[in-house]
Parts: sequence; C-alpha cells; structure tokens
Amino acid sequence: MKNTHRESARVALVLCLATILAACATPGEVPVQAKTSAESAITSAEAADARQFEPVLLNRARNKVADAQQLIAAEEFGKAERLLEQATVDAKLAAARAETAQARNAAEEIDRSIDQLRQRLNAAQP
Amino acid sequence: MIRRLLISCSTIVLGALLAACAGTPPQNASIEAARAAYQAIADDPYVARSGASQLRQSEQALKRAESLLKQDAETEKVEHSAYLANRYAEIAAERGHRARLQEQIATAEKRREQLSLQAESLKAERARSEARQAQTEAQRARAEAERLKSEMEALQATQTPRGMVLTLGDVLFDLDKADLKSAGLRTVERLAQFMEEYPERRVRIEGYTDSTGPDDYNLGLSERRAQAVRDALMQEGIDSSRVEVKGFGEQYPVASNDSASGRQQNRRVEIVISDEEGTINTR
Repeated sequence: MKNTHRESARVALVLCLATILAACATPGEVPVQAKTSAESAITSAEAADARQFEPVLLNRARNKVADAQQLIAAEEFGKAERLLEQATVDAKLAAARAETAQARNAAEEIDRSIDQLRQRLNAAQP
Repeated sequence: MIRRLLISCSTIVLGALLAACAGTPPQNASIEAARAAYQAIADDPYVARSGASQLRQSEQALKRAESLLKQDAETEKVEHSAYLANRYAEIAAERGHRARLQEQIATAEKRREQLSLQAESLKAERARSEARQAQTEAQRARAEAERLKSEMEALQATQTPRGMVLTLGDVLFDLDKADLKSAGLRTVERLAQFMEEYPERRVRIEGYTDSTGPDDYNLGLSERRAQAVRDALMQEGIDSSRVEVKGFGEQYPVASNDSASGRQQNRRVEIVISDEEGTINTR
C-alpha cells in the first residue's frame, strides 16, 4: 500500500517536471513585456497628439500590435516580439515627431506675434 | 615543374581569394542606412542634450545588428535590429529638433516681451502727451472763455438764450434818425475790435422801435438803424458776410409802450453775437 503511494508520487513528480520542461522547450514565451511596452508607447503617442500630427505612423504601430497578436495566437513568439518592438519604436517616433511639430507651430506663432508687434511699433513711431 | 608551378599559382590565387572574402566584413543595406542615420546625429549637441538615451539605444541596436550579421544570423533578425537602430536614431534626431526649437521659442519669447514692453511704454507716453495736450487745450479754452467774458463785459453784452446780446440804446441814435452818435460809434469800434479778435464769430444786428407811429415807418426805421450799425462795422473793416441785418419794427418790446421810459427802452438795436461756429439763433 505504502509502496504504491510512493510510486504514484514519483510518477506525478516526473510528469510535473516533464510538463515544465515541455513548456520551456516551446519556441520562446509569450512576449508579454514587449506587448505592454508597445501599448504604452501607443498611448503616450496618442497623448502627444500623434493622431493629429502623425496618423500614418501611429496606425502602422497599431497594425503591428494587431499582427503580433495573431502571431502570438499562432505561437510564433519570436516574430511577434520583434513586431512588438518595432511597433514600440514606431509609436515613439510618432510621438517625437508630433512634439516637434507642436514646437514648430509654437515657434511660428510667436514669430508672427513678434512681427505684428514690430509692425505696430513701427507704425506708432513717427 | 610546370605542374608544381601551376599548383603553387592556384594555391596563391585561392589563398588570396579566401583572404579577400575573409577580410571584407559582411554587408547589409539596412545596417548601412542605420549607421548613416546614427552618425549624422552622433555629434549634435542638441541630440546629446535631449536625445542621449535614444542615441545610445540606437548605437546598441546597431552593434547588435552588426554582430548578428557577423554571426550569420537569420536575415530577419539582422534587419530587425537595424530597423530599431534606425528608428532610435530618428527619435533622437526629432528630440534634437525639438530642443533646438524650444531654444528658439525661449529667445523669441524674450524678444516678444521686450517688444511688448516697448509698445506699452510707447502707448503710455502717447497717453501722457495726449493728456498734456488736452490739459493745455483746456487751459487755452478756459483762458479764451475768460477773455471773451471780459471783452463782453467791456461791451456790456448780456447772456441771453439767443447767445450774447449787446444792446445799443436809443440815446446812441439821433431822434427818429438812423445816424449813430459818437458814443454809439465808439461802441461799434469796440465791437469791430472784438470781431477782429474772434474771426469765427458773426453778428446779427436787429433794429426795434416803440409802437408810436405807423408800422411801416417803424419797420423802415428799425431796418435803417440796423443797417447804420452794419455800415459802421464795415467801415471798421469787418466783412459784410459776417454781418446780418434784420428790422423788427415794433415787435418784441422789452418794456411797456405806455410810458416814455418804456418806449425809450423799446427803441434799440440789439447785436446778437454768434457762437464759435458762426451760428446765430434766430427769433
């Protein structure tokens, strides 16, 4: 009776180890971190008004995340991770470009107001 | 002999070929592009200031791409690292652009502040000078009014709803005649001086009589007396366009015609002085 118990416990242990090993043996893991990074990069880009200034690049990043999702479903984790990394840098670039565009607009606006002031001053001075 | 030579020859050629192959580092267009993008901004001070971590990420990805290529890794992995290297270089470049723009904005804001301060002080200066001008103007107008008042007092003019009115009494004319006595002429001289000083002012000379005698005669006499005053003014050099004449006969008495003194008061010439625009209120 005792013997059978010990035997089944051993079998369970072996099975368990085998499962763990099998999990490790599959090609990589689900790229959770890469996905989180890509999504947060897209959120940041949206907050930086990339939807207005860089809609094409932002969409590309979004599409890459969607494609990566499908690759994850197909257990192609390596490819998925690479796509997610690309989506991340695409979104970051979209955000950076949007911020530059806004800075450029601000610079132009201030230049315009300087011109106006200067004209007013010139007109006022005899 | 020849065979040995051929063998050694081909060995040399093969060796050279192998050496050539081994010497050339593996090439990849994406890596080249990424390296160019990285090198273009590696020494940009604005990128160094605000895109340092992205520049570093670009460099790391570039190194990874190069080593993957050397290790003969899958093309996809090499391209991927090159892609990341290129993107990070682009992000760093954008951050550099933005830093440059922000610096320009800061400078421009200072300039704008200076200009608006200048505009403010100019505005204030103009307001001050306008106030000064208004004050001088007001002072001048007050002085003018004072002077006018004293001149009017000298002329013994009185303020009426029709304006300033100067009355030449009956005693300044010969009885039933339109000739001014010398005292009347002196008054007219003073009026002429006044009109020369205030060229914008005009006068209307109105003749009145008492109710004694026929209306036609009285009307005629009042007109003649008024005209006599106008003639005297013109003799003093006042332009006829500044003088209107009107005879009212026995209309508008100022006193009762029942007494002698009342009738004397009614026999008069009134000189109505216009306002500054030359307007005279008619009866």
